[in-house]
Amino acid sequence: MPKCTINGKEVEVKEGTTIIKAMVDAGERIAHYCWHDGLSVAGVCRLCMVEIEGNPRVQIACNTTITEGMKINNTSEKVKEAVKWGLDFHLINHPLDCPICDQAGECGLQDQYMEYGKYDPEMAEPKQKKKKVVDLGPTVVLDSERCILCSRCVRFTEEVSKTNELGIFNRGDRSEIGTHDGMPLDNKYSLNTVDICPVGALTSKDFRFRQRVWYLKDAETVCNGCATGCNVKVYYNKEGFFRVKPVYNENVNGYWMCDEGRDIYKFVNRETRLLKAQVRSNSGWSEMPAGAAAKHAHELLKTTSGDSLALVLTAQYTVEEFDAIVSTFVNEFKTKKIYFWINNKETFDNFDGILLRGDKNPNTKGLLKVLEKHGITATWNDLSQGLASGAIKTVVVAGPENQAVFPDFHERVKELSKAQNLIWLQAGKNEALMSLTGNVWLIPMKTFVEKDGTFINHAGLEQKFKKVTTVVSEALTLTEAALLMSGKNLAIPTAQPFLPLNQRPDQVELEARKKNEFVFRRGSL
Amino acid sequence: MAEVKLLTEFYHLPEYQTLAGYKAKGGYETLVKALKMQPQAIIDEVKASGLRGRGGAGFPTGMKWGFLPKNNEPRFLLCNADEGEPGTFKDRMMMERAPHQLIEGMIISAFAIGSNKGYIYVRGEYVYPIECLKKALKEAYDAGLLGKNILGSGFDFDLDVYRGAGAYICGEETGMISSLEGLKGQPKLKPPFPAVQGYLRKPTIVNNVETLAAVTYIVRDGAQAYRKNGTEKSAGTKLFSLSGNVMKPGNYEVPLGYPLMDLIMKEGGGMKPGRRLKAVIPGGSSAPVLTAEEVAKANLDYESLAGLGSMLGSGAVIVMDDSQCMVDMLGVLTHFYAHESCGQCTPCREGTGWLDKILHSILEGRGRLQDIDLLIKIADNMKGKTICALSDAAALPVLSFVTKFRDEFEFYVREGRSKVKGTTYAEMHH
Amino acid sequence: MFKLSEQGLAEVKKELSRYEARDSAIIPSLYVAQKENNGFITPEIIRYLSQVMDIPESRINEVFKFYTMFNQQPVGKYHVQVCTNISCALEGGRELAHHICHELGVKYGDVTADGRFTVSKVECLGSCGTAPMMQVNDTYYENLTPETAMNLLRGMK
Repeated sequence: MPKCTINGKEVEVKEGTTIIKAMVDAGERIAHYCWHDGLSVAGVCRLCMVEIEGNPRVQIACNTTITEGMKINNTSEKVKEAVKWGLDFHLINHPLDCPICDQAGECGLQDQYMEYGKYDPEMAEPKQKKKKVVDLGPTVVLDSERCILCSRCVRFTEEVSKTNELGIFNRGDRSEIGTHDGMPLDNKYSLNTVDICPVGALTSKDFRFRQRVWYLKDAETVCNGCATGCNVKVYYNKEGFFRVKPVYNENVNGYWMCDEGRDIYKFVNRETRLLKAQVRSNSGWSEMPAGAAAKHAHELLKTTSGDSLALVLTAQYTVEEFDAIVSTFVNEFKTKKIYFWINNKETFDNFDGILLRGDKNPNTKGLLKVLEKHGITATWNDLSQGLASGAIKTVVVAGPENQAVFPDFHERVKELSKAQNLIWLQAGKNEALMSLTGNVWLIPMKTFVEKDGTFINHAGLEQKFKKVTTVVSEALTLTEAALLMSGKNLAIPTAQPFLPLNQRPDQVELEARKKNEFVFRRGSL
Repeated sequence: MAEVKLLTEFYHLPEYQTLAGYKAKGGYETLVKALKMQPQAIIDEVKASGLRGRGGAGFPTGMKWGFLPKNNEPRFLLCNADEGEPGTFKDRMMMERAPHQLIEGMIISAFAIGSNKGYIYVRGEYVYPIECLKKALKEAYDAGLLGKNILGSGFDFDLDVYRGAGAYICGEETGMISSLEGLKGQPKLKPPFPAVQGYLRKPTIVNNVETLAAVTYIVRDGAQAYRKNGTEKSAGTKLFSLSGNVMKPGNYEVPLGYPLMDLIMKEGGGMKPGRRLKAVIPGGSSAPVLTAEEVAKANLDYESLAGLGSMLGSGAVIVMDDSQCMVDMLGVLTHFYAHESCGQCTPCREGTGWLDKILHSILEGRGRLQDIDLLIKIADNMKGKTICALSDAAALPVLSFVTKFRDEFEFYVREGRSKVKGTTYAEMHH
Repeated sequence: MFKLSEQGLAEVKKELSRYEARDSAIIPSLYVAQKENNGFITPEIIRYLSQVMDIPESRINEVFKFYTMFNQQPVGKYHVQVCTNISCALEGGRELAHHICHELGVKYGDVTADGRFTVSKVECLGSCGTAPMMQVNDTYYENLTPETAMNLLRGMK
């Protein structure tokens, strides 16, 4: 474990660590574009310059391994000059697109410029012109002029997604990123290239021009798209959620996430949500608040015998919620007719070798664990028979949050509508449900970003996540619904009833906002 | 002192190209001798001879060979015949007139370093030299000089020719390795150095055509005999490619240390009638230019030229007389480097383009006075910060031309036309 | 639909197994394809080679666009490449190139009306001692004057 000194601080590192990794881990600032811990070393941006004692020339930090006793610094004037000119060379052909570029506010060039900028541009010649707004495929747009040719995206398609769509063509300052002859960048991990692009050369078609990043807050949570359970960061403000980006987790997803997971924010925004409960009786549909609907359902449930009551669960809720509702049904309603709605048996066990799994539910293992704990062994066939024979009269369904991955949704709705009384708990709206007949309760649920909880992923890893914010305040969590349906009242957490604005956990802090706004940081003029 | 024909002794004989003609003049006798020696003995002899790389960098060959791992790991011997440095045309002559000389040198070198596979990477434009090499290789294979169990010695060596496709950067050793591997010819990060991890991550030695050919003579005559020519630190003879405004341009083999002025005036036949010497680039376009006064003090060896702020480089001596406009000539060079930059690292990719654009602004009469200092600043900051030396190679001519001929640049910026020729760029080039 | 001749295909297959790395066959295969397509290579040809060689299109395209000897535009039957780098420029190389263009009535990079010639200015060809000079297809013509150059070209049918 060699020891070295970085900017005066002594640091101990693992054998084989490069200087840049040690500096980043130690929290030291070092300018870099082409280096990424999840990709091979390219050493082309020439910005991560450091001075090593005993070496007359400045060296790049990404390709130099630390040896015992190395003394490294990147604060001397020599290094600062080198970085300043390195940045200048990046800027001479870079277009002045900031006002219309999505990357503004999180742009590598902007950040470096505020630290080291030469406020007196000396480039008086016409810049290189290249293609702008190139349609690279279903998810990504390319602007070749903004590209600084760090080659991160090319290395990504070579090493991580192994699909080899991208290349750098031509020599010298005519070099351009691209695909061959209009072939699309079309793999299931394409949007990671947008994340790793330090500038606005690669932008997401979905996010393009929708929001300035300094108006977005972010919070970490766990993706609910499949059983891998990638750690993600969701970006949102009062208008809703805008995008999802991966967060590094050594054991689960590394640095990446798949493209399908990028869409999970769509099921959270108000446009797709069930806002109020809908109750259908002989006189038709009536709207009421969610809590009232749950209490209304309790009136029915308290008189229902355990033999004619069934519960259907999809593996899209947290472990705590499953525990609450299953114990309510087993202990209060005295039924063990609890069924696991598996949406895609044929592709359930697929795995593409990188991150995508066929099990499109985040908490299958969690649900199975809870079912096992309560000794539930019923299979779907029992339910089908029960419904067909009329033995099961009342069904409570905890429907899927991410409806897109339930190809059999409409089929199941038809099957379950055979029951006399159907209590359907779900976050998102769906016309199939509104066309049901009989006694129906549609009660809006909270989505995964609106609650604390635990998901257990395919490998049995428990991942806890915290509430991000509230989108539909009336909606209930499954735990709350279980309480209300069993006739109890919700407990109002008295610990912190009224908190001042800057202490509420789901309000972003001023300090965090500062890192997105430049008024607080300037280079020297 | 005059020409010493060590390597080029029989180049005037057309049959020297063939195996029979080469053998008639003692060819492949040294191979027989070498195969009976210990490989380490050959390496030691090359080290003792002081042979330095003849391609441009001038790195001691024996030392480079010594960096190879001392185990049984398979290693490659690559001959760099990309010869892209402007002004250089010696390797071409060597491959056309004496392909067997190179082949013999390679077999001996491969035997010394323990390599069983070699490639000769030739630039794509050299169609005729490649033909000559291919013919010679076939002759060598047929005669049992290549392939398995060479001359019954138990040593195997396979040699193949690979044709490039037009890129100066493939003359850089790792650029050449990349190109041979089927990638773009972009240089690789060093460390790791090719001797440790080169072609396909295996230990690799890359040597110039002339260097490998010289090995034969060192083994034949011994290190001390080789040292009879040249100076203490620059031993042996070298082929110099003389070109530009001289009466007798061509390749000349002279001992290192030969006075530069003599090469130009004696072997080169001097200036054209009515012309005076103005400037000389002594080592290929990447070497800083020398004024006529500096040329008078220069000897053709590594130390003398380095002492004058230039370099021996590939040994391409480019002569400019007083009819040439230095701004115009620098424009030719900046265009070359901007065209040939591989584009990998930012200072070179953007810097070469920027230098060329500024030069052409000046040439077209749109120059500003601050552009001259700007050229110096840009070139200064391109040096020493890149993956390979092309960035330095682009910066050094700019620095030397602008510093030593500043008056011409200032005149051009002020008047919008050449001080020497009096005409504008448009007039100079229709 | 571009397809290599049987011979060309055989050559590509040979190159694929000739070197230690299969990718090394890209440059030789591009030469073969260029020869069979009248001196230039189209994006379609890259796709074809990608299928034949089982190498991703972007890898082949990167190599194709990196090297100057592969042509992206059609060239005439005789590709006249005049060196205009420093040693030749000192001896009138650029003037020679201009002269040829003027005499043939064509701009750099274009093809003459009769399809015979394309004139390009190129970097150092390693023939500096015999400047000015030009390379026409695979042959070097050295020690030229504007007149001797034009005589040579007029003789090329």
